[in-house]
Amino acid sequence: MSGKIFIRVCMGPAGIAAGGKAVLDEFNKTLSDKNMPADISSRCIHNQVGCMGLCSKDVLVDVEINGCKSTYEHVKPEMVKQIVDDHIVAGAPVKQWLADEPLKKFLDKQEKVVLSDCGVIDPEDIEAYISRGGYSSSKKIITSMKPEQLIHEIKLSGLRGRGGAGFPTGLKWEIARKSEGQIKYIICNADEGDPGAFMDRAIIEGNPHLIIEGMIIGAYAIGSNKGYVYIRAEYPLAVQRLENAIKQSRAKGYLGSNIFGADMSFDIEIKLGAGAFVCGEETALIASIEGQRGMPRAKPPFPVHKGLWGKPTVINNAETLANIPYINRKGADWFSMLGTEESKGTKVFALTGKIRNSGLIEVPMGITLREIIYDIGGGLEPGKHLKAVQTGGPSGGCIPAEMLDISVDYESLAKAGCIVGSGGMIVLANDDCMVNIARYFLNFTQSESCGKCVPCRIGTKRMLEILDRITKGLGEPGDIEKLEKLGNDIRLGSLCGLGQTAPNPVLSTLKYFRDEYEAHIFDKKCPAGVCNALLTFSIIESSCKGCQACAKACPSGAITGDKKKPHFIDQKLCIKCGACFDVCRFKSVQKF
Amino acid sequence: MKMKEEKIINFMINDMPVKAKEGTSVLRAALDNGIYIPHFCYDKRLEVYGGCRLCLVDIKGGRKLVTSCTTAVQEGMEVYTETPKVISARKTVLELLLVHHPLDCPVCDKAGECQLQDLAFKYGASEGRFSAQRKKDPERLDAPVVQRNTNRCILCGKCVKVCYEHQGVGAIELIGRGFKTKVSPAFEETLNCEFCGQCIDACPVGALNSSYYRHVSRAWYLKDHDMPCPYCGCGCITTLSMRDGKIVRAKGVEGKGQNDGNLCSRGRYGFDFISSPQRLTKPLMRKDSLYSNNIVSSEGSTCNDNPFIETSWDEALDFIAKKMSQIASEHGHEKIGAIGSQRCTTEDNFMLQKFIKESIGSSNVDSAALFGYEKASRSFESVFGQRLRHISWDAPLSADFMLVVESDITSLLPVWGLKFLESKRKGSRLVVADAKKTKLSRHSSSWLRITPGSGTALINGMINVLIREELYNKSAAEDVAGFIELRSSLKEFTPDVAAKASGVTADEIVNLAREYASAKERIIAITACASENTKSSSLFVAAANMAMLMGDGPESLQVPAEHSNTLSMIASGVQAGVNGKNAYEMLYQSNTLRALYIVGEDPLVMMPDTTAVENNLKSLDFLVVQDIFMTDTAKMADVVLPAAAWAEKEGHFISATGNVQKLEKICSSPGEAKPDWEVFSMLIKKMDSRAGLMSFSDVSMEAQLKASSFMARLERSKGRPGFIPVELTIAEEPDSQYPFRLVTSTILQHSGSFSMLSKNLDAIASEPYIQINSADASRLSINPDAFIEISSRRGSAVAKAVVSDEVPEGTLFAPVHFSSARINALTYAAVDGRVPLAAVKITKI
Repeated sequence: MSGKIFIRVCMGPAGIAAGGKAVLDEFNKTLSDKNMPADISSRCIHNQVGCMGLCSKDVLVDVEINGCKSTYEHVKPEMVKQIVDDHIVAGAPVKQWLADEPLKKFLDKQEKVVLSDCGVIDPEDIEAYISRGGYSSSKKIITSMKPEQLIHEIKLSGLRGRGGAGFPTGLKWEIARKSEGQIKYIICNADEGDPGAFMDRAIIEGNPHLIIEGMIIGAYAIGSNKGYVYIRAEYPLAVQRLENAIKQSRAKGYLGSNIFGADMSFDIEIKLGAGAFVCGEETALIASIEGQRGMPRAKPPFPVHKGLWGKPTVINNAETLANIPYINRKGADWFSMLGTEESKGTKVFALTGKIRNSGLIEVPMGITLREIIYDIGGGLEPGKHLKAVQTGGPSGGCIPAEMLDISVDYESLAKAGCIVGSGGMIVLANDDCMVNIARYFLNFTQSESCGKCVPCRIGTKRMLEILDRITKGLGEPGDIEKLEKLGNDIRLGSLCGLGQTAPNPVLSTLKYFRDEYEAHIFDKKCPAGVCNALLTFSIIESSCKGCQACAKACPSGAITGDKKKPHFIDQKLCIKCGACFDVCRFKSVQKF
Repeated sequence: MKMKEEKIINFMINDMPVKAKEGTSVLRAALDNGIYIPHFCYDKRLEVYGGCRLCLVDIKGGRKLVTSCTTAVQEGMEVYTETPKVISARKTVLELLLVHHPLDCPVCDKAGECQLQDLAFKYGASEGRFSAQRKKDPERLDAPVVQRNTNRCILCGKCVKVCYEHQGVGAIELIGRGFKTKVSPAFEETLNCEFCGQCIDACPVGALNSSYYRHVSRAWYLKDHDMPCPYCGCGCITTLSMRDGKIVRAKGVEGKGQNDGNLCSRGRYGFDFISSPQRLTKPLMRKDSLYSNNIVSSEGSTCNDNPFIETSWDEALDFIAKKMSQIASEHGHEKIGAIGSQRCTTEDNFMLQKFIKESIGSSNVDSAALFGYEKASRSFESVFGQRLRHISWDAPLSADFMLVVESDITSLLPVWGLKFLESKRKGSRLVVADAKKTKLSRHSSSWLRITPGSGTALINGMINVLIREELYNKSAAEDVAGFIELRSSLKEFTPDVAAKASGVTADEIVNLAREYASAKERIIAITACASENTKSSSLFVAAANMAMLMGDGPESLQVPAEHSNTLSMIASGVQAGVNGKNAYEMLYQSNTLRALYIVGEDPLVMMPDTTAVENNLKSLDFLVVQDIFMTDTAKMADVVLPAAAWAEKEGHFISATGNVQKLEKICSSPGEAKPDWEVFSMLIKKMDSRAGLMSFSDVSMEAQLKASSFMARLERSKGRPGFIPVELTIAEEPDSQYPFRLVTSTILQHSGSFSMLSKNLDAIASEPYIQINSADASRLSINPDAFIEISSRRGSAVAKAVVSDEVPEGTLFAPVHFSSARINALTYAAVDGRVPLAAVKITKI
């Protein structure tokens, strides 16, 4: 036995949150212990890696000996000693801690392209990226390929923008290349603001050089020598790793003047977003970089003609750019074999909600929703059954459980009134109220509206007020029609993508779950049991132990009852806050 | 920049064929063809915004409705502006706006002229489908003249954009986001800006209003009159709203006048000077002079401090006629003179000079323009062989290179100044050579911070480069007289020498000269105002030399006339003739005159070296001042006559652009105040009983004939052009005893000393001040707002110190309008080509 032993500790956001740093430190300590056999410690390479995907099982640790990889789940520092002793020294994996079966199922149907090195390499080490073939394609392109050839290659690959709209990337580059002007810019849009979405974050944290290389190639294609990464300030780790990667790239001569020794200069500047969702819209993003108030403007002119400081500008989503180096390394033909006729390649999704295996997944376009949820996701949480899947974040919509066999690609989702979007995928179960979900997303877009155009600024506010009323039991006949009319007017009348898509969560839930709205309005009931105001709380006498916890928690003094005797809720006093339901340990408070 | 030949697009609006230039928006094309498409956020002066979503139209074959303001016309396009789909979308927008708009129309000043009201009316009542969270921001009444009510705001953004983009200020911004967005200065502080009020006229609803107009009148009781503004040479048309015989509001209206709706703070707020309680209402005579002339016995007079007594017109004019005749017969006609006014009408000035020349027989008529526009015009004439032409309103727009030398155009002729900003925005180069940081320098492509008063050196340095590098127009220049002399005079004046004299680097001068020479359409713009002391005739000569060297015509030098009627005053004969004495000789040289008649001018405040003026006025036997209020000069007079002001009399103005504009009488004058022309008509009759009284139409016809023939002569006359070598000489350089340079000028909110009568303008700028650089202030331990006294060899003044790096080190700046701190007591009067800068020291802190 003389091969290397790799130990990789997941230090993506979820890994760190679950205690990855302590686990890594523990490995450091254990492996540098003087009792450790010298041949073992010298062969051991242990390091942090980016998101490994299965976030719900973090901290995940990979141990790879002679190409044989085992993954441990829920690793705690105190487990490290035994893993080292049994697995690394003695060669026998600690079976009860392995994540084998669910992990295998989680990974089987995935197709990792942009995430292929994420969770494998150390994101803070440029050499790790280079050793996996990094910067080879950019060097080849810049030193031996014509920009037109490169653009042709990207067009052949069929890559479409991963930010949501799905505009063909090659075409965008071509227009920018042909746009008149000496100065052009390329911007990486990493202002990922959808609630529950963390694809770009994982890519930048797990493999920041991928973005840099993608930008270098894009810059070469359009003839730019200045790039910006517009990234959320709320992603400090991604920013730090990106800064570090840019520094390393500059030191290597991959950024700066005469990069790769060729006649091209290119550098990247990081611009931090100030927390406005609308700045993900490209014209607002440009305004923000220029130091203006982040408000979209009317298009045309499109940024490829008149963008940052009035110069032709290409704005690509982080995931789009992350695809570029792989397309160039493996060829457009390889890429276009993945996915469907119209939607090529893979898509990264942040799979969250009431699902067993929540985390970051990458699947080929055209996979069915059923495969994602039941194979990759491992089905719903115990005792719950699927109601709908929300995709595309606040601009997207809900696909009902009956349409589970829908193909996940731009066209099919659009047909269902939904969008691929940037990649949020929220699994909703029987205990999720669709009215409340719609209200949640509308609340988000409403408060993120920049305020420039009337339909979005005021229309979303009024829709939200109606939804608020409905969830509070104050819905009136005609509310649904108002929502539909206003929603359509906002869609048609708003200035930018934010406003044009803001009513989608409402309109799509109205389309598939109209009965839930009607139940709220006419029957004053919330079928999912979420909207407290519509619920009746009562105590099941048979199981009530009389512990008095509910009576203490009740803020309105509605609960009475003697110690160790069943309690009683006075409905006249009950304010339907749900505190009793939350504190009861015996499930004796019911709501219906 | 010459515009390219634009393609004409043919398309249809509502089945009607329409033509428009390529690149025009559908909205603009519709409006130009008389088709109204509702809109809130569109303004032709601004970049399109596309926020109000009201101008939605249906385009045949289009997927959805589009905003007509952001859609360019296309060949064959079929646009429909009022389809059911469009109306439905528009109604939704209006409904959304109205549902939380406070329906406080009964107390809103805008009611009756509110676009939201009108459109709500047009598109039917709101169905009120939505419950409404309304906004409850307090009204902001804390700033002078502008009041804001953000609850009424529909966030069209026009005020923000007109302020930032068009006006170049940026005092307000949209703050917050979504439903909570509002228009406000940063951090919701009190509005502190130049108070042009452009935002108020831009506001389609009642969110922005003028404080003075608050709850004054319902819009439907107002009657509007379009009048030329009484202030600067721009000659803007302001629309005055009248109620019960009083002007209650002034506004700019798109499409009216060359200002096309733009006004500055003076034009929009300064109209109320006419209703000041300080206005003169009756003829006054000095008691002393009555006693000495035995008209009234000193005995029995009450112990009244007032040196004047009220009298009747008849008595006053009799007295004047008698004194004038007496002095003329005792000392000669040439011992009587008069000073005219650049703010009085053509008719007024015409009658003044007629009175002096014909009734008195003297040629001594001149005005303060001698220190301003006349200085420039005559310098120009000496080089080009013809007098200055009037400026062209759009000259900045057609130029691709603009050189502005020591001229704060956006303060002196604010609305014309906007044209420079506009041209810069559209891609022209704007180079500003000025010691003081001005709005133009802030927006310039390049700002050369020259030493105050050194413009002549800068231009001479440029000429040296142009000749040395052979960048000038040889065929045009070399045959002109004086070329050899010019070349040899500036041979040694290399960029290095010029750099030393002007305080910029030699490279900057070389680059500027090259840039100037390589431009296709270049202009040099210089203001010529009597209150500015950084310019001498040499500067205008130097500039004319340079323009002629490049083969450029007289139109390449844009020097605007200072006041509302400067041009016409000169044209109607108020200018020193060959035999007459000029204003300098009359006011500064002792024993020139025995009697002086001053109309609408306040030399004791507005002319340089007031001590000299005061001494001269004191030595007169007889002084008549005819004005609208008791000026400092009037206080020295033997007879003070109350004049009717602008808007109280008929007449004409000629603007700096040469436009003849008619003034209406829309208000009655206070008390017994009379139009100036009428006073002279009466005086002429008093002097010669055979003369008849003239009617206004007679006066006007004669006056206009004289003015127009003079203007026509200007156009035709062409003397021999010739270069005149000049060099920079400064009247008074700072030394160890008087270490500071004092720069004086006019500020944006005031004009002369009479704008002090305006309550509105007084609310914005009421106090005299002295600007001092922060380095000087800290060296001398001068705190902001501390009172300081400054002195020159001629006099001293006290005012508040304003610490500001708008002025360079070693320089103090002070506006001259305020009689309470008579800055002109310190200044220097020079008419000999020397820059009249004064050296001063700070004597008390």
